[in-house]
Amino acid sequence: MNILSQLIVSGIAVGMIYGVIAFSYQLTFATSKTLNFGQGEALMLGALVGLTTVNFLIGQALGTPLAYLLMLPVVFAFGLAQGALVEYLGVRPAVKANSEAGWIMATIALGIIFRNLAENIWGRDALRFPSPLPEASLNILGVRIQPMEIAIVVGALVIMLAVEVFNRRSIFGKAVVATANDRDAAGLMGIDTRRVITFSYALSSMTAAFAGVLIAPVTLTGATMGAVLGLKAFAVAIIGGLSSGMGVIVGGLILGITETLTGYYISTGYKDVPGLVLLLLVLSLKPSGLFGRATIKKV
Amino acid sequence: MLEVTDLVAGYGKVKVLHGLSLTVQEGQLVTLIGSNGAGKTTTLRAVSGMIVPESGSVRLDGEDLTGLAAFKITKKGLAHSPEGRRVFPTQSVLDNLLLGAFPRLTGSRPRGDVEADLDRMFALFPRLAERRNQLAGTLSGGEQQMLAMARALMLNPRVLLLDEPSMGLAPRLVAEVFATIARLKEQKTTMLLVEQFAAAALEVADFGYVMENGRLAAHGPAAMLKNDPAVRAAYLGHAH
Repeated sequence: MNILSQLIVSGIAVGMIYGVIAFSYQLTFATSKTLNFGQGEALMLGALVGLTTVNFLIGQALGTPLAYLLMLPVVFAFGLAQGALVEYLGVRPAVKANSEAGWIMATIALGIIFRNLAENIWGRDALRFPSPLPEASLNILGVRIQPMEIAIVVGALVIMLAVEVFNRRSIFGKAVVATANDRDAAGLMGIDTRRVITFSYALSSMTAAFAGVLIAPVTLTGATMGAVLGLKAFAVAIIGGLSSGMGVIVGGLILGITETLTGYYISTGYKDVPGLVLLLLVLSLKPSGLFGRATIKKV
Repeated sequence: MLEVTDLVAGYGKVKVLHGLSLTVQEGQLVTLIGSNGAGKTTTLRAVSGMIVPESGSVRLDGEDLTGLAAFKITKKGLAHSPEGRRVFPTQSVLDNLLLGAFPRLTGSRPRGDVEADLDRMFALFPRLAERRNQLAGTLSGGEQQMLAMARALMLNPRVLLLDEPSMGLAPRLVAEVFATIARLKEQKTTMLLVEQFAAAALEVADFGYVMENGRLAAHGPAAMLKNDPAVRAAYLGHAH
């Protein structure tokens, strides 16, 4: 029983990271029906830029927690710029040319370029990200929890909630939702929908970059850290539904927990299997996702 | 005020409009009638920038708007309540109305009193007031039509394009829509109305244009068109 709750708690932290990356996929899909297949690289770049910033600030004799907090705005700004660049270079030309699949190739290509760039700047070795919180586990009702794991769950919820509040409360957020609802009609409201799409890419990469610095202290940081996370989060986005806000949290938790359970009870070698089996099941039984609404494509 | 000259437009290689000209004067209600497929909706789409005209020009208060993106044309003060209503289904009635005022709320049109205009819309369409916090997607067809009109009016537009506001509505609601249009006309709202109910449209309008196969077949004061034997025979459903 104890080991089971231990595994579930560990799964929750990983699952929230999957959830928040999947959420970032939803942001661009909602407005443009396109995705950044280099989203894992946005996360990786966020983590590495965060690492360099934190190390610089620690070098200025700041404590790690303060350095971590001051690093966040830098990573946010970097993520926004990186996402806007991906949209401008990879997505906009393909969409303008009416290419059905051009953006897929273009965002994958940009992702590979970003990974090579990172390998050349930060090297190929995995680096250690200084943890802003104590690394000693807390013992809560017999379950050991790292403080950073709690920070991951809180951070993931806060960023998703912040985006939700922005979308519902501010007129610019309403313009984003309007663009997601009906792009032509949004244009008639005087909304520059192309700019809204650039913005949603910026916001999406910012969210992924934030996920990067959330997970970096509990894992290893390096140029290759994003690829698998990006792919698994994509599975979560499909499982939860690309257009269902809450579905990705549930989908992320399901995947995170089944992974840790499989890793312990079956074999770490099969850790990645249940998520993929789940993905295949969802795709064959409910293609719009567990929580997604079926959309009928009008011709 | 709104001047459309020799407009040629269509979808890809299919031309729908073959040189259409019309004028809407300030404070006027002008109606564009004609059979299905005559190009009425395409005309409105080409005027508001939803499609890019191939040639010809669209001018608002003398300013050339031809070929501008729809959002830029809206910022110039042209509102378009499109065919099929196109309300934002996952947003509340109130949010739909605020989105209609987007250029005013974001500084690209004079702000004026948005609150007062909301109240004016709720007075004009009491059903919307009752449902202000309901999602637009859950409204009935008639309520969605009212919302689409109110949303377009929230721009405080120089000119309002209305595309088939009566489409798909029960007769009682059609009458309600026309009563609202008449009231807007009393308030000196400049409007270009596309309608399938030609008789009702000519009843409220000042001026009318009759379209046929992408061209103008007739135009003149609404009262005159209403009594024109050819127009009556072709579009008003009875010849006597």
